[in-house]
Amino acid sequence: MSAPSIPFIEQTAGKSAARSARRRRKGVALAGGSDRRPGWVTYLVLGLVIVGSVFPLYFTVLLASSDAQTIAQNPIPSPIPGGQLWDNLVRVYQSDIDLWQATLNSIIVAVATSASVVFFSTLAGYSFAKLRFKGRGPLLVFVIATMAVPTQLGVVPLFIVMKELGLVGNLMAVILPGMVTAFGVFWMTQYLDSALPYELIEAARVDGASMFRTFWSIALPAARPAAAMLALFTFIASWTNFFWPSIVLGTQTPTLPVALQLLQAGFFKDIALIMAGVVISVIPLILVFLVAGRQLVAGIMQGAVKG
Amino acid sequence: MATQLAPTRGAAPSRQRPPRKIGFRQTLGRWDVKVSPYLYISPFFILFAIVGLFPLLYTGYVSVHEWSLLGGKGDYVGFENFSFVLGQPNFWTGLRNTLSIFLLSSVPQVIAALIIAAMLDANLRAKTFWRMGVLLPYVVAPVAVALVFSKMFADESGMINAVLGNLGIDPIGWHKDVLPSHIAIASMVNFRWTGYNALIFLAAMQAIPRDLYEAATLDGASRVRQFFAITIPMLRPTMIFVIITSTIGGLQIYDEPRMYDQLGQGGNSRQWMTITLYLYELGWRQRDLGRAAAVAWLLFLLIIIFAILNFAITRRISSADDMTRTAKKARKAIKARERSAR
Amino acid sequence: MRKTTRKMWAAAAGVTGIALVATACSGSDAGDDSSAPSDEKITLTISTFNEFGYDDLLDEYMQLNPNITIEHNKFATSNEARDQFSTALAAGSGLADVVAVEVDWMPEIKQYADQFNDLTSDSVTGRWNDWTTKQATTEDGVLLAYPTDIGPEAIAYRADLFAAAGLPSDRESVKALFEENGGDWDQFFKVGQDFVAASNGVPFFDGADAVGQGMLNQLDAPFENPDTGEIALDPQVQEIYNTLLENTNLSSHKAQWGEDWVNAFQNNGFAVMLAPSWMLGVIEGNAAGVTGWDIADTFPGGGGNWGGSFLTVPTQSEHPEEAKAFADWLTAPEQQLKAFATTGNFPSQVEAQASTELAGMTNEFFNNAPTGEIFKTRSEAISVIPFKGENYFAVRDALSQAINRVDVDQTDDAATSWATFEEAVKAIG
Repeated sequence: MSAPSIPFIEQTAGKSAARSARRRRKGVALAGGSDRRPGWVTYLVLGLVIVGSVFPLYFTVLLASSDAQTIAQNPIPSPIPGGQLWDNLVRVYQSDIDLWQATLNSIIVAVATSASVVFFSTLAGYSFAKLRFKGRGPLLVFVIATMAVPTQLGVVPLFIVMKELGLVGNLMAVILPGMVTAFGVFWMTQYLDSALPYELIEAARVDGASMFRTFWSIALPAARPAAAMLALFTFIASWTNFFWPSIVLGTQTPTLPVALQLLQAGFFKDIALIMAGVVISVIPLILVFLVAGRQLVAGIMQGAVKG
Repeated sequence: MATQLAPTRGAAPSRQRPPRKIGFRQTLGRWDVKVSPYLYISPFFILFAIVGLFPLLYTGYVSVHEWSLLGGKGDYVGFENFSFVLGQPNFWTGLRNTLSIFLLSSVPQVIAALIIAAMLDANLRAKTFWRMGVLLPYVVAPVAVALVFSKMFADESGMINAVLGNLGIDPIGWHKDVLPSHIAIASMVNFRWTGYNALIFLAAMQAIPRDLYEAATLDGASRVRQFFAITIPMLRPTMIFVIITSTIGGLQIYDEPRMYDQLGQGGNSRQWMTITLYLYELGWRQRDLGRAAAVAWLLFLLIIIFAILNFAITRRISSADDMTRTAKKARKAIKARERSAR
Repeated sequence: MRKTTRKMWAAAAGVTGIALVATACSGSDAGDDSSAPSDEKITLTISTFNEFGYDDLLDEYMQLNPNITIEHNKFATSNEARDQFSTALAAGSGLADVVAVEVDWMPEIKQYADQFNDLTSDSVTGRWNDWTTKQATTEDGVLLAYPTDIGPEAIAYRADLFAAAGLPSDRESVKALFEENGGDWDQFFKVGQDFVAASNGVPFFDGADAVGQGMLNQLDAPFENPDTGEIALDPQVQEIYNTLLENTNLSSHKAQWGEDWVNAFQNNGFAVMLAPSWMLGVIEGNAAGVTGWDIADTFPGGGGNWGGSFLTVPTQSEHPEEAKAFADWLTAPEQQLKAFATTGNFPSQVEAQASTELAGMTNEFFNNAPTGEIFKTRSEAISVIPFKGENYFAVRDALSQAINRVDVDQTDDAATSWATFEEAVKAIG
């Protein structure tokens, strides 16, 4: 269907024609069914879904702002937070479990992993999307296929390898395996394929730029939007990762999830304290979410269409 | 030089180039051009070989040896580790739990995600708010989710049983009993991933050509019928994608059951011990990496079987026939309408 | 490189981001020489679990030794500590310079004796009870660990709940009550029956498994043959199991350390707990704000020891001499007395046990009970130290689960659960 655009109609047939054309087109969409404004039932159900998403977090805050005795005596917490949130946060940072170190470790791992994934994935994605070399097709298929390999099952040998490298208990043991991912490569290939015009690359090459310079000054800047999203997702995945860090880092150099596990197994099980720990582990990502939630949504939706 | 670049689609007819003079710089340049593409993709392949492929294969090697966590490699024992593991009631309990938790998390999750996606697909006010709202749990670490939920699901001191008690319902043994513990753990998984998957479905729904619905509406199909006749079949590839990824993740579930109580052994009757939990127990508590590796291989096998099974089932559920028939019908209707309009 | 990585890591921990990543890989070979103590500035790490009561002592030691900085790594439970311990032992790195271990791990430590420094020295000869020293000594006479504390057992009870049920409630009468009819376990359960008959629904003890621990601690060789080390269940284990499960009506059906158990302290969940000395800190912590707890100087069936810990110096340590000196100091009688005052961990040092300071100690939370005097008597009543081999930990775990299936979960009957237990024990071998 190649109907003239509304601005075109406006130009040629005048404002009122454009208005009616706009209405007409909307009308067509309405007849399609799913573009009608939904009724209150939809809002109600979605509202309940959101309540379900938020409630466990709110519950956490309620307990984290209370104290062990109050919690023990009231299985259903009072819906208004108590006043001890700050005290509990201070207490959990002063507790035997070194949450400062854990927070720092988490930040180091997440930042290093994200930076590395973005760099190497963009590099590979650029190569797959824009350079021609023998075996490109099959290799790309191979990359995609590896996404289905449950690498987590390799923990036993991976542990042995890390042990041989002397990296057990070292943050490198967690950073190293996640330095570049199949998903990242695939994602950047997809993006650069459509977003980076050949003309730019050619121009750089004609100017005598080396291959890497071309990548650095042309492809990398062009990849920025997709790279930001990739960084975001990698950061979240790294921040929430538990299985491998709990095995290889143990409790000597814990990341936040590992520290949370320690809090739970506490000598006195102080629920208010545990929940304060949860709050601490969750806040950074909630902040990221508030700032970049829109991008996250867009990222998931783009990934879905293409993947 | 531009020859090394894949030509822009449908453009760039071959150009005549002046004959080249080969100098050192150019040799270097040609080498650069030839090798760079491989150099750029090599980090992925090298890393995958080291931390993905090699460990997986090496798992096989470890699994046929006696291999203690502390003492290291021992004798070759053939399939002894496998037969030991397969002879353990705990392995089968773990298998049962893993499958049960997997089903309880993936089936309701996919259904809920589809419904939520359909609602998000409507012409909502404040679209971004709703989309972000359903995605919120995704940023909460599974460990944190598990801590919060295990408190809510505590058998005697938990909120959920207290609420049920107020409604006159007997307390449920969320930790004591098999199925309730699975439901509790599945609810953690669902909490975190339903919104995420809903967004994936939403994206796929938005890619469905609107004229299909238009035609169906003209044919008098209700919205529910449209959902089943058009939306679901058109989402087939996405559903396969979502289900397979959730299978790979779901069968390896560890964080949530590990954190469901303070001991992390999956309960007194191992009522919620999953296979990965069992793997950890064998390897790092009983310190037998050989047996742990055997479990890893068995789990790997299981995942492959399930991936294939899922693929087949998903194909059948939203069968290709159904989709093409509906789609064809709809397309025909549109064409007919266009023709008559002309 | 392997040895230095962790240290380098610690040193670089202040630096962030990728710079850090880079340094971690470029291991140099600094700081590997382990000569005699010097004035060189060093950092010693110590890892403990539960509560050793060391916080003030560590500050004191740093003041005494200005060149030494101490980092304290506290694990929540001994299970956590044990997981980490195995992993770090396997990895050959990651253990602290001084590592606290529990008595139940000693068999494994002896198995990997070459990973631990010999701690024998003149200053520590005769410092401990013989049986404690023996637990830490290999067959070749190498001392692998300095004992810190032992766990003589008494009975902690809620005086207010006892009174409400019409039972005597002051600690002398309660002691007398438990010691009637020979003061064995039958009497313990009988008191329990009398209690629940009049307690208005308050259970007697916290959980069958916890009581079971007290009973098992009186067997010479509960799970393994001391000569061969092979698994061989003492028939009395099953008797204990049956006795416990016949008396589950006394139990509050809680698993120790669990969510509901912790909560029960605040809700009159039970009236009695078997209390090794170190348990006092646990009760006080969980029952904060609750009044009525007291301790009776008695224990069914005589005496018993539950738990006890040690300090080791792994060969991984880069400062073994300093670490030894530090661990030696910590386990000297004066220091262990201070730890007892803080947390109730009863010293394993002969001199500390005999001191008048100990004898005069009381505990405010437990109605000012003379805890020093009580646990001194309790430690003298210890007559049996069970044999614990390599598989003790695993079998004990399986038995806990078997008891808890019946008592806590109430999903199995005693016979089924025992069968499952036997199956599990077979798998351990």
